[in-house]
Amino acid sequence: MAVDFAGTYLLLVLLSSLLVNFVLSIYGIFFKPHFTKKVIALTILSDTLNTFAIYIGYRRWLEGVNPRPPVLTTTPTWESITEFSRRAVDPLPQALVLTAVVIGLAVTLFLVFLGYILYMHYGTLDMREIRRLKG
Amino acid sequence: MKLAELTLLVTLILSLALMLTFAYNYLAPTPEVRNLALFYLITTYNPQLPYYTVNSPEAVTAIVWDYRGLDTLFETAVFYLALIAGLALARRLYRENPVSFLSTNGGLSIIVKTVTKITSPMIIAVGASIGLHGHLTPGGGFQGGATIAVAPMVIIITFSVFYLLTRKVTTEKMLLIRSIGLIGIGLTAISVFIIGLAAGRLAFVFQNMPKANAPMGLPGQVNGVLISGTLWFFNLFEMLAVAAGFTMAFAVLMLAGKER
Repeated sequence: MAVDFAGTYLLLVLLSSLLVNFVLSIYGIFFKPHFTKKVIALTILSDTLNTFAIYIGYRRWLEGVNPRPPVLTTTPTWESITEFSRRAVDPLPQALVLTAVVIGLAVTLFLVFLGYILYMHYGTLDMREIRRLKG
Repeated sequence: MKLAELTLLVTLILSLALMLTFAYNYLAPTPEVRNLALFYLITTYNPQLPYYTVNSPEAVTAIVWDYRGLDTLFETAVFYLALIAGLALARRLYRENPVSFLSTNGGLSIIVKTVTKITSPMIIAVGASIGLHGHLTPGGGFQGGATIAVAPMVIIITFSVFYLLTRKVTTEKMLLIRSIGLIGIGLTAISVFIIGLAAGRLAFVFQNMPKANAPMGLPGQVNGVLISGTLWFFNLFEMLAVAAGFTMAFAVLMLAGKER
């Protein structure tokens, strides 16, 4: 019963909060006028999508069969590998997220440099002002 | 309502609907994973299947650098380009001349400085452990490099960016280490191909373990210790590239505008 509760309702709460995060970050990217807040919203968006990818690769928690990380910790006999493949979660979304996190950090650094240049040129990071000044 | 806002609202609703469509089968996770995941899980470290296995107990690293290694190579290229673009934007904003004398009064308090001096070698050691054990335990080159890059960032905040420069952690040196890492990744990617050329046998770029029609490959174990062929080298070089790249970017970000 507790396992069912955790496996269904808590994960649904997680999914709905991910959707709320998604909407909020899209709103922040498009409607917040300040450049820094746009960058923050973009990082929230990328983290939301990364969590969503891991969530898709997750495995349902049944009684007696709890999911494990995809790391084989025993000697690789056929029995242990079969047991491992019955329990481990999907490793593919985790592999995609792994690189996406580091690249997201690099892109965020690029955007911070871009913000620095913007501030030097215009003296402001307010996007409405920058649009008004037009280069 | 303006047209732009209306378009945005429609886009939001449509993307949410798209996300829900994709998520429909996964609203609550199923007890079974997909067949592709089963293939990865069964063959990642399975000496009984010598032509399919990667000899790496960690399935995520096996996917990142072997099954889908070419993806990761191009993701490294994206990482490289993003950092280069950032540095190119900042190229005229800083001048790097290490100061000869650094006042000890600057920065945060003596307690924070002492704690930073003690913990930053530990941070680097933990990062190196994460990176070099990436084929055995959760971790790998990307995570280890990002962990190592925390240490110079903490030092920059606690002391000053000039403290790093007086310790000979200059951006030129970081660029050199990063280039070594990227060249190492490239060489590791074609290492088995070169071995195959030298031996006159069929071998492929980005090959790791021997395959049925291409019998060349790097050893999975050295003296009974798993190194998983190319995975260990990929993790090592990726760790160098990521750590040095982020250190350089943080230093340039802090130097920008100080000495114009």
